[in-house]
Amino acid sequence: MTNHDIDANDALMQDELTLEQLVAISRVESTWLISRIELGLFPHVARTAGAWRLPVSALHRIRRMRQIERDFEAVPELAALVADLLEELDTLRARLNMPRPR
Amino acid sequence: MQYPDYYQVLGVARDAPARDIKKAFRRLARQYHPDISKEPDAEKRMKEINEAYAVLSDPEKRAAYDQLGQNYRPGQEFRPPPDWDAGFEFSSKGFSPEETTDFSDFFAELFGQMHSARRGGGGFHARGQDHLAKVFLDLEDAFTGAVREISLRAPKMDAAGRVHVETHTLSVKIPKGVREGQLIRLSGQGEPGIGGAPSGDLLLEVHFNPHPRFRVEGRNLHLDLPVAPWEAALGAIIPLDLPSGPLKLRIPAGAQHGRQLQVRGKGIPGDPPGDLILDIRIVVPPADTPRARELYETMARELAFDPRQRN
Repeated sequence: MTNHDIDANDALMQDELTLEQLVAISRVESTWLISRIELGLFPHVARTAGAWRLPVSALHRIRRMRQIERDFEAVPELAALVADLLEELDTLRARLNMPRPR
Repeated sequence: MQYPDYYQVLGVARDAPARDIKKAFRRLARQYHPDISKEPDAEKRMKEINEAYAVLSDPEKRAAYDQLGQNYRPGQEFRPPPDWDAGFEFSSKGFSPEETTDFSDFFAELFGQMHSARRGGGGFHARGQDHLAKVFLDLEDAFTGAVREISLRAPKMDAAGRVHVETHTLSVKIPKGVREGQLIRLSGQGEPGIGGAPSGDLLLEVHFNPHPRFRVEGRNLHLDLPVAPWEAALGAIIPLDLPSGPLKLRIPAGAQHGRQLQVRGKGIPGDPPGDLILDIRIVVPPADTPRARELYETMARELAFDPRQRN
């Protein structure tokens, strides 16, 4: 085990990620993500200067949709529907101040 | 390192056909899905289930696992013999490297080598992968900044080419003004690069622990504010303890239950700072003494008030 200190005061704070950043962090194929964006399965997508930008919350949506597609061999639209419902559950839990699953 | 019984994890026989393994996995994946499961150890169980399925659903991995397991009992200390994987060709389909990093040391030792063998060849250069980790803060930390110890597990290859999962701990000073869901990108703190290429970045995803009083939305703080009927009717100055310090709040006369008051700039610091949003909750005192009953009866008699006739 190693240990060292980092000061994040000068670190970059991000509310949005580019398509390339999402692909790098989530380790999905870019074609997987692009096809689902083009199907309209990712809300809040902004396109500026030819580049897609998505909110950080898209990371969770990618993880959920991938798992649902893989685990249950679901079509992307069904995986997106389940992700929508889980996101609604997140919002309601936050309103009730319930702890989210870690 | 212990030898895990993947068949037991999925609840299938050792000679179960692929369709039974898939069926068992789907049943368990639904039962232990970390987003909805009420089971206390759902996340841990889901990792075990994913790991078992990653091996048993892949014919090559399953064959290698079965061959290795002939001389082992579940839970027994395990060391793989040299060249145990000769004759097998593993694929990495299905589970991402991010997910397999969460798998056991047993999995990393046996099946992690397939990644290292591909990436570790002579003359190969690649930037290290970015790592994503969650950091849980108290709301008060957003007002003052905080220092958090973060433990990260990452696969690392030794001189013999074997992959081990290594844990390292970072002490990170989080700046004030962070928001729920925001990413803090720490350059060069992710997975080391290969062949002299730069390391990846570490991305910390900020989450707040539930607060007993406040709810957070972006930079805004929401608070249910209990007030007495006379405070709502007559107006009042109410002292509040906020994460940013004490505040004297003026309740306007005639405030009704459910009305929202907004105090600009008293939310999480930033440019611009968030607001404090108060939801008025009128709390009625109990009529549990003769004097309290008398006061209520006087109001009932003297106030021409019917709450069901209001505009």
